Amino acid sequence: MKKILITSTLCTTIVFGGVDVLPVEKRTFVQSKYIPDISLVMDTSYVSRDMSDDKVSEFEIPGVAEALLGSHTHDGVAHTPYNASNGFNLNYAELVLSSSVDPFFTVDGVFHFSESNTEIEELYFTSTVLGYGTRLKGGKFNSNFGYINEQHHHSWDFADMPLVYEAFLGMHGLNEMGLQLQWIAPTDTYLMAGVEVLQGENSQMFGKDKIGDYTTQADAPALFVGYLKTSFDIKDTTVLAGLSYARGSSRIDHTDDDEAHALSAMSSIYGADLLIKHYFDSYSFVSWQSEVLNRTMQGTYYDVDSSGSMTDSSALSKDQTGLYSQVIYGVNKSWRAGVRYDTIFQNDVTKSGTNVDNGNNFDKYSAMIEYHTSEFARFRLQYNHNHSLCDENGDRQSFNTIMLQANLSIGAHAAHSF
Amino acid sequence: MNRLLILFLLPLTLCAKLSVAVSYPYIGALTKSIGGENINTVILAKGNWDPHFVVPRPSLISKVRNADALIMNGAQLEIGWLTALLRRAANPKTNVNSENFLNLSHHIKLINKPISVDRAGGDIHPDGNPHFHLDPKNVLILAKTIEEFLISIDNQNADAYKKNYEKFSASWKVKMQEWKEKMADKKGMRVIQFHNNLAYFNKAYGLENIGTIEPLPGIPPSSRHIIKTIKLIKDKKPYCILHDVYHSTKTAEFIRDKTGIKIVLMPHDINALDNIDDLTSLFDYLVGAMQ
Repeated sequence: MKKILITSTLCTTIVFGGVDVLPVEKRTFVQSKYIPDISLVMDTSYVSRDMSDDKVSEFEIPGVAEALLGSHTHDGVAHTPYNASNGFNLNYAELVLSSSVDPFFTVDGVFHFSESNTEIEELYFTSTVLGYGTRLKGGKFNSNFGYINEQHHHSWDFADMPLVYEAFLGMHGLNEMGLQLQWIAPTDTYLMAGVEVLQGENSQMFGKDKIGDYTTQADAPALFVGYLKTSFDIKDTTVLAGLSYARGSSRIDHTDDDEAHALSAMSSIYGADLLIKHYFDSYSFVSWQSEVLNRTMQGTYYDVDSSGSMTDSSALSKDQTGLYSQVIYGVNKSWRAGVRYDTIFQNDVTKSGTNVDNGNNFDKYSAMIEYHTSEFARFRLQYNHNHSLCDENGDRQSFNTIMLQANLSIGAHAAHSF
Repeated sequence: MNRLLILFLLPLTLCAKLSVAVSYPYIGALTKSIGGENINTVILAKGNWDPHFVVPRPSLISKVRNADALIMNGAQLEIGWLTALLRRAANPKTNVNSENFLNLSHHIKLINKPISVDRAGGDIHPDGNPHFHLDPKNVLILAKTIEEFLISIDNQNADAYKKNYEKFSASWKVKMQEWKEKMADKKGMRVIQFHNNLAYFNKAYGLENIGTIEPLPGIPPSSRHIIKTIKLIKDKKPYCILHDVYHSTKTAEFIRDKTGIKIVLMPHDINALDNIDDLTSLFDYLVGAMQ
């Protein structure tokens, strides 16, 4: 036994001792050249809000979304939205790994670390050889629905998600397991069509799991997405426009809430996006970006008691529309400034055939200024005036937030799309 | 059914020229010279903008999607934009390892290869300085590389490509001699640049770059570095500031006002300035600006 130990120690010394001497290329079985591209993005912020955290976390948009600014729990895991607390916030560390698999596929993994948990934000393979302008993607990914949904937080122009996305689809947007097929037309003008078949596990809008003994389990996959995008240039101005549609089953479980309830429905969401970006030179631009989202949900609303049994049920239908519109001015490589207007202006809810007046015109105004020390570091000062939320009595609240956000990345990070 | 399809598609393939997408205008010009009427060249980037920061506009995705081949500069010059286009375009012919993909930097001996690669040193190019087409000798190598590439992807027109290359190289050699003579007395001349994008031009004609207005590659000028540069200019008396066309000349003008140094605008590519329509006029201009 001792002999073995000594021999193995000796062997290890020889093997690892040799590593110092031999250059990488000459090590017989070395695989270090195959290390994928690795990058790490960190996002941290200082938040000052003129309303306490516990108060804000109770606020909701009646009939649209609950607890937008507080942490929420699904599947037993707590999720804290970005910039949730007054004072310092460590929003995330995002680890990205990507590489070719073989001549036919690439794999990308995006891992999201927060202080208390880790999530696979994206993990997908992409085909590289299908040809005819087609590309297949499978795994878990951000849907290409709309414009901003596919982008990661660090490429957004504001520290927080547009209100209409956050309210309709939650802080992760449409981030799902499934398959995506995209096709680019063989034309001079950019024209792209895509379809996605997704599992449907969006806590805010889509779901398939049976709740209690009163709803049914929906078929999986439960969510279907389709979109059409086009783009053209007029001199140094680029126009990118898209139409998107998603339809799926909803099983929304709020049976643990104070006002316990559940929802079983069929839901659709229509999106239209438009981006017009004009470049003055290589570094300076002005852009106008807007998206309108309309959603309809039709199904049954279940009142639930504390023991989890259904006490009442009523037919529910929702028809809600919101938009955001933002203008960004890139002064030069270092400075950017922008303003954004958010609103949910239509909130038609009918319960058992009667209209429920939850109010509408839920508005939010934001302004930001950014300083980039390089392409890899940005510091952003953002001001929000939020007039979109109500307290539990349904009274509209107004509050202001100032955020100082730092977003820095290291390593080999792939270039961003337009 | 299949036969019908072939019959229908055959005339399309017969009259269709090979479409070659290229990253920068200078590559487009070389490809046009060598490819002649057999090649349809599609240029992605604009010549008057910073080659490091090309906007990956969706219209460029369509151009890559419809290309039969792709020629790029390489040496990480396209790292910030071309990869996004390639990924979106999903064109097997323009995949990095495809036979129809050409990375020109692999055929050139690069200079200024950094000893240590760390972003604390700014936005450096780990493989060396990528602006190699500004040495006229390299242009000849690039032309030859493109000739061989076009022959490899379109062998039936090999004779045309060979003939076009011979024609190009003969006239280029004449011009090279002319530029050499004009630049002969410039050897040892000291210059300042904004970004070291004329490294190969300077090397070709023996100009000595003693400093850059940006403190580190890709990092905008700081006041401390500007003061240092002014002192350097006063001490070493360089002939001029060679300035690219895409960065603002504001800092250079401030330095000029403090030191009296001349600013010479140096185009880096075709279309960087008006009237620069081909490689010959680019070098004519560069050499002329130094006179």
